[in-house]
Amino acid sequence: MSGRAERAPARRLAQHDADLAAVQDAQADPAAFDVLYRRYLDRVYAYAFYALGDHHDAEDATERTFLAALAALPGFRDEGASFRAWLFRIAHNTVSNARRTRRRRRTEPLPEAFDRPAPDADPAGLVARAEEMRRVLGALAELPEERRQVVLLRFVDGLSAREIGEVLGRSPGATRVLLHRALRDLEARLRP
Amino acid sequence: MSPHEVYPMTTRSTPERLDEAVQTLLAGERPTVEPELRPLVRVADLLADVLRPLPASRRFEADLGRRLAADGGRRRVTPGRLLAAGAISSAAVGVTVTAYAVWRSSRRTPALSHRLLQR
Repeated sequence: MSGRAERAPARRLAQHDADLAAVQDAQADPAAFDVLYRRYLDRVYAYAFYALGDHHDAEDATERTFLAALAALPGFRDEGASFRAWLFRIAHNTVSNARRTRRRRRTEPLPEAFDRPAPDADPAGLVARAEEMRRVLGALAELPEERRQVVLLRFVDGLSAREIGEVLGRSPGATRVLLHRALRDLEARLRP
Repeated sequence: MSPHEVYPMTTRSTPERLDEAVQTLLAGERPTVEPELRPLVRVADLLADVLRPLPASRRFEADLGRRLAADGGRRRVTPGRLLAAGAISSAAVGVTVTAYAVWRSSRRTPALSHRLLQR
């Protein structure tokens, strides 16, 4: 168990160093931002997609996030907060704004909008998986906003409690409590 | 059970133990947890399976990549640009100072000529 526990922080530290080097390059020459863009595009997009439930809205939020990150990059300083947490804070704010705008337009998509092709070709497996996804995503959509955000940042992007705390402006301890409550809530909703 | 018997204290809270189990799960390994946390770890396992990484479309990636490159190009500060900006601002300062001097002298000249006439 201790081996497992040590490997994850070591990986995070290596990622942090790799990001920091790329950030310094991009601060010196904005063309080098491409490295960070390629590294985080899919993760930011997946977060936006699961948060908004619509491909077009997710692409729009992803575009706004990276343009805002590029503009704000000269101001980024390595003061404890990782680049990843900094980027996801921008993504989180962008997604929150998109959700607010959509609430005004009253066009909240249904969990069915999450349909996407499953990797296995077995038709029965596809149906079962689609049904399971719909059930889980439906339950997730009913969670209070902050708990839902913690789940998405933890499971879609693998952010640590500390990084999620930096994104949401909470302490790591408060973030763990939110995750605990979110999983308890989901367990109750998914219970047959 | 003696009242003086010492038990290993669980110093970590339930949310901390659950978070560690989730971390293990996300690393692709099976966590070992106490019975009360098992239903929550099962939900976490389900979430890890459903919320799989989702790639953006390659067309979107290429389009946004081009837009960022163009935006980055506008933000790039090159020595040539710095020199040009410096030259333009120096010229602007020169023109402003000259214009102000001309304006001041044009205001002062009638008053001076008036005083000279009175002498």
